[in-house]
Amino acid sequence: MEISDENFRVWAEKNEVFFDGVFRLAGPDAYAPIYSLISGLLHEGHKQVTFNLTGLEFLNSSGINLLAKLTIEARKMGDLLLVVKGTNQHPWQAKSLPNLKKLHPLLDLRLA
Amino acid sequence: MAPQIFGIESLADISLDSGARLTLSDGPLQLGWKHSGMTSDFIAEIMALPYSRSRKDYLQAHHDIGYLSNELIENAVKFRQPGEILIEAGIIDGSFLLRVKNAIDSATSFRLQQLLHRLQSNEPGILLLEQIETNAISSTSGSGLGLLTLLSDYDARMAWTFEENEDQHIILTTTAAVAMPPSSNR
Repeated sequence: MEISDENFRVWAEKNEVFFDGVFRLAGPDAYAPIYSLISGLLHEGHKQVTFNLTGLEFLNSSGINLLAKLTIEARKMGDLLLVVKGTNQHPWQAKSLPNLKKLHPLLDLRLA
Repeated sequence: MAPQIFGIESLADISLDSGARLTLSDGPLQLGWKHSGMTSDFIAEIMALPYSRSRKDYLQAHHDIGYLSNELIENAVKFRQPGEILIEAGIIDGSFLLRVKNAIDSATSFRLQQLLHRLQSNEPGILLLEQIETNAISSTSGSGLGLLTLLSDYDARMAWTFEENEDQHIILTTTAAVAMPPSSNR
């Protein structure tokens, strides 16, 4: 399944979710379909789920809120390993992704 | 009534007359939202140019200017009362400065001032995590997450000025500054 508009694309392949482009939606309501898609994947019974953010150039604070909410959702599921793959190519990732680790210390954050 | 200033008062007085000035006209929220993205991209494009000698510095400057501009303009579009949004931007003493001025209602003013009071005695990084946890259980709008990420993740310096106007609205002026990379070809 995929959700996209002219600026971004988010889709899942098995237990990995890919985020691509610029996420600048207006708030929690606008991000709700993306939240539902990924939250559904978290509850499918995988041992590990990966958020692949290497194509995510930019996201606004409501987008950061989306990632944080999903991290908290994964935190509640004790036996699920959440891997977050990021890149130093997009400056927001080194600044804001470590916050996810503070929310969920067992999260595996890979910034390359 | 005298203006009320929160944050770093000296920032509120810095003149941006030598910078760029843009005005966003009133209009529907959806169009305004699109314009906030376009405007912040435009500001990042023109203001990051002095750093184009180094790709790393340019990417950093472009991103930081874009993120800061986008958050402040999104807030102005989301919470404004009918009227124009005035935007001023410039690079002064190695920092990018953005000033956004618009009318808000008293409820928005009250919520923002509550957050600013909490900031006076708390670390923005701690408030950011608290706010994220709160948002995870209730989808509140106007949570101040954008301001908290700017203060916590971008080390932004900020000032907020509240003034009452004759229409019983409050004119909010937000000024924010982020350090730019040290080397530039200015």
